[in-house]
Amino acid sequence: MFDVAIIGKGPAGISAAVNAFARNKSVVIFGGDSKKVLLSPSIPNYPGLPEISGKDLMERLNEHLKLTNATIINKTVIAVYAMGNYFSIQAENDFYEAKSVILATGVDFKKSIENEDTFLGNGVSYCATCDAPLYKGKVVAVVGYNHESVEEANFLAEVCQRVYFIPMFKGNFKLKENVEIINDSPIKFEGSLKAEKLILKNNAIEADGFFVLKDSLPLTSLVPGLEVDGPHVLVDKRMETNIKGLFAAGDITGKPYQVAKAIGEGQIAALNAAEYLDQKK
Amino acid sequence: MVIHVTDADFNEKVLNSDKAVLVDFWAEWCGPCRMIAPVVEEVAENLKDNLVVAKLNVDENPMTASLYGISSIPTLVLFKDGKPLGKIVGFRPAAQIESAIKGALGL
Repeated sequence: MFDVAIIGKGPAGISAAVNAFARNKSVVIFGGDSKKVLLSPSIPNYPGLPEISGKDLMERLNEHLKLTNATIINKTVIAVYAMGNYFSIQAENDFYEAKSVILATGVDFKKSIENEDTFLGNGVSYCATCDAPLYKGKVVAVVGYNHESVEEANFLAEVCQRVYFIPMFKGNFKLKENVEIINDSPIKFEGSLKAEKLILKNNAIEADGFFVLKDSLPLTSLVPGLEVDGPHVLVDKRMETNIKGLFAAGDITGKPYQVAKAIGEGQIAALNAAEYLDQKK
Repeated sequence: MVIHVTDADFNEKVLNSDKAVLVDFWAEWCGPCRMIAPVVEEVAENLKDNLVVAKLNVDENPMTASLYGISSIPTLVLFKDGKPLGKIVGFRPAAQIESAIKGALGL
């Protein structure tokens, strides 16, 4: 079991790792490099490093991370479960355990489909491998935002009678016979007690279940029970969330979306996580 | 107390129960269901004077699951006097499950 698990490897996450290491805690950090930092041509306001490019800053941060004991795991975290005395972290199909967690995933501006959250768990699912067996012999629709969604559509096709696949990106898809590609844009889900219909721009699909497959999940499904305000996590001055032992830092806590703020918050979160761990003993 | 129920004895053990019953709809293959199992046991222990926790395997008991519109698991449904009072879909920490139950039962 790790002392601190950090979700996200941008400036906030790496700052948290460096500081948790300084407090002699064992650290695991999940995720790939921050795309937002990598794509910044220059960062003009990070004190001491004027006009550093995002790519250079990310390199420097990664070099610093390598000086710590942090275990680096380049996998997408599906869920963080608060088990009471510890946390269980599901990264793709593997589970990890940690005594405290720091969320530093950045902020996601991708709009959800209308009523996606209303029907989540009532006909709408974010995880094909989790819920596929509930739709044995039935008709499902998949809205796919990433390349993995192609595999998941094929996986569903093994279990379900028919699969509609609505890709939100371009490509050549190798799909099973009972998968039908629909090139259209989803607008909203409709239904009474559960989602029954997906309204598209030019069409509508009726199905028994709908899978929305994307890289970053809404915060409330990433950490069930987390208190949020729109795309942000609610934290106190110590960067602690409503769940004890679970902290957050960086863009995920709100504006300004700036490197300096992320790094400062990463430090506060790590030091308070260390204090939380020391008090637990 | 944690008991196991089926389509066959759901009426007797859940709907006709004197105490409130929290039904945990689960399946073997469901990762989050395994995560919530110890959490639900903790809730059962903490509220043992007022609550029975009943686990129902949705693969083996599809009738009950479909009757109550279970489309994602884990789902927890609280029953009192034969009626569903509310449900929680997906994993939740113990404290939140407990306070939802206390709220619903007026404890």
